[in-house]
Amino acid sequence: MKRYSEDYTVGELMCVALAKEIEDGDVVVLGSFTPLAYASYILAKITHAPNITLLAYSSVDSRPFQLSFLRAEAAATRGAALLWTMLEDLSSVHLKGRGDVEAISSIQADQYGNINLSVLGGFDKPKLRGPGGAGAPEVIKMHRKMIGYFPNHSKMTFVPKVDVITGTRYLIGAEERIKSGYRPGPIKYITNLAIMVKTEAERPFKLESLHPGVRAEQVIENTGFELEVPREIPETERPTPEQVRLLRERVDPYRTIEFDFRPGKERLRYLGELLQKELESIGYG
Amino acid sequence: MALEDKVGKLSDIKGIIKDGDKVAIGGAWLGNHPMAIIREIVRSNIRNLTAITVVGSIDIDLLIGAGCLSRLMFSFVSMEAFGLAPNFRRAVEKEGFQCDELTGLAIVIGLEAGGRNIPFLPYRGPFGSDLVKHRPEYYKYVRCPFSGEELIAAAAIVPDVGIIHAPRADRAGNVQMDGTSGTDVEIMRAAKKRIVSVEEIVTDEEIRRHPQKTKIPKFQVDLVIEAPLGAHPCSCAPHYVFDAWHIMTYMQKAANPETFKEYLEEFVMKPEFEYLEAIGGMRKAAILKRLAREVTFL
Repeated sequence: MKRYSEDYTVGELMCVALAKEIEDGDVVVLGSFTPLAYASYILAKITHAPNITLLAYSSVDSRPFQLSFLRAEAAATRGAALLWTMLEDLSSVHLKGRGDVEAISSIQADQYGNINLSVLGGFDKPKLRGPGGAGAPEVIKMHRKMIGYFPNHSKMTFVPKVDVITGTRYLIGAEERIKSGYRPGPIKYITNLAIMVKTEAERPFKLESLHPGVRAEQVIENTGFELEVPREIPETERPTPEQVRLLRERVDPYRTIEFDFRPGKERLRYLGELLQKELESIGYG
Repeated sequence: MALEDKVGKLSDIKGIIKDGDKVAIGGAWLGNHPMAIIREIVRSNIRNLTAITVVGSIDIDLLIGAGCLSRLMFSFVSMEAFGLAPNFRRAVEKEGFQCDELTGLAIVIGLEAGGRNIPFLPYRGPFGSDLVKHRPEYYKYVRCPFSGEELIAAAAIVPDVGIIHAPRADRAGNVQMDGTSGTDVEIMRAAKKRIVSVEEIVTDEEIRRHPQKTKIPKFQVDLVIEAPLGAHPCSCAPHYVFDAWHIMTYMQKAANPETFKEYLEEFVMKPEFEYLEAIGGMRKAAILKRLAREVTFL
């Protein structure tokens, strides 16, 4: 019997759930600096998926590195087997359809596999000007799997229809994808409450698993669109003590993955403490 | 004939970047943006620029806050973990600032088309995205003349000026890169005029010792400027990390237009060597460089 940890944070649970989506041999793109996703990939590479190719910044096949707030880019670069320009990267990975996983997050996500990273309201004088999609609109279509992670599962995020479609999975069913030159794979959203999955355009997102202690009603109440809710919903697999140890001692000793889960004001203070620890690690402060 | 020497001073950018130009900015995320050149654009009061960026951050936010831009083409502008870009948000939400949001690949492919001197390049583009409808001047549906497959054409992007930062170049303008290059190579191929700032100008012997590191040939460079720590507060991987402490100061000051003026006075509207003193001088530089060296592999 597998032993599970009682001592873990929801960030660590999500991190392990995302790591499980990585299969050995995958091509994994790190994208913008998102500690939770970075930690997942590195955890996967030092455990069950040593042969994945990590692409971070301009680096290709980076050695797995210890995560830190300031040094992820330097580490990925120093551990690279090859350095690519952005065009070489997207030609070889995105356009060729060789990317497997590049987890995204967004301001809004809807029941059709659309995401919004652009604006709330309309393009002109929006209520909120978001960051924009960067590679996400094309990543979520071209890569084998579309994986999203959302630290705050709410009706603000999961809306019936996004205000603006920055990007979309577009082709969802396996047959459609293969016909158009894309590899088939699911849309999977890993949130702080549950995991939801969609594999066919005509069917709603299915509640795949509930995190320990979360009820199905809680997820339904916090989701702005219809979910397929099976009679029996499995519990999301908890991290093992070894996974928690690896995350805290090796992959993410500065606990950068907790950053996404701090409320607005507390974030800066948390960041300040984290930076202080990094300074101390090189003998300053 | 004397050998060509493209080395100049920061203030020489005025001879190349003109009011109203389309300027493509190198670097990506919080990495390797040509910040010394950006600050010089602000000091020189060059206005009405259209900035082009794939993944921008403080470079774009600073130019907007200082009033240098009249338009922006971008796929992403964010201060990443520090939050959304404050001046960018304010300009779009409150002041109706005009921008062209495209998908990241459309800008990179558009630059590549510009570099190849053709009007567009087709790809299996962002079907279903509202960005295609929003900016039809940059996206068109086209059919493959061989198979009939429907594709999306990304319009060519030809910047008037490309500006990038790199670790080293020789005096003729052969540029080497050691880390995050973003779309720097594509920008320099597409742009009509090009400026590079470097940490260090080296001899051509030094460049020829590692030719595989040379990513931009001298005929794609018009001006070379030596600007140590010229990407600060962004990183120049793997040589120094971004300055999180300074970026936190920036975020506080940029939170409203009044305090942002203080930021500009305190850090930007002074010669570049005084900027380096203001951000913490040699001690800060040593910390940022040491952090970039001391990484741990698992």
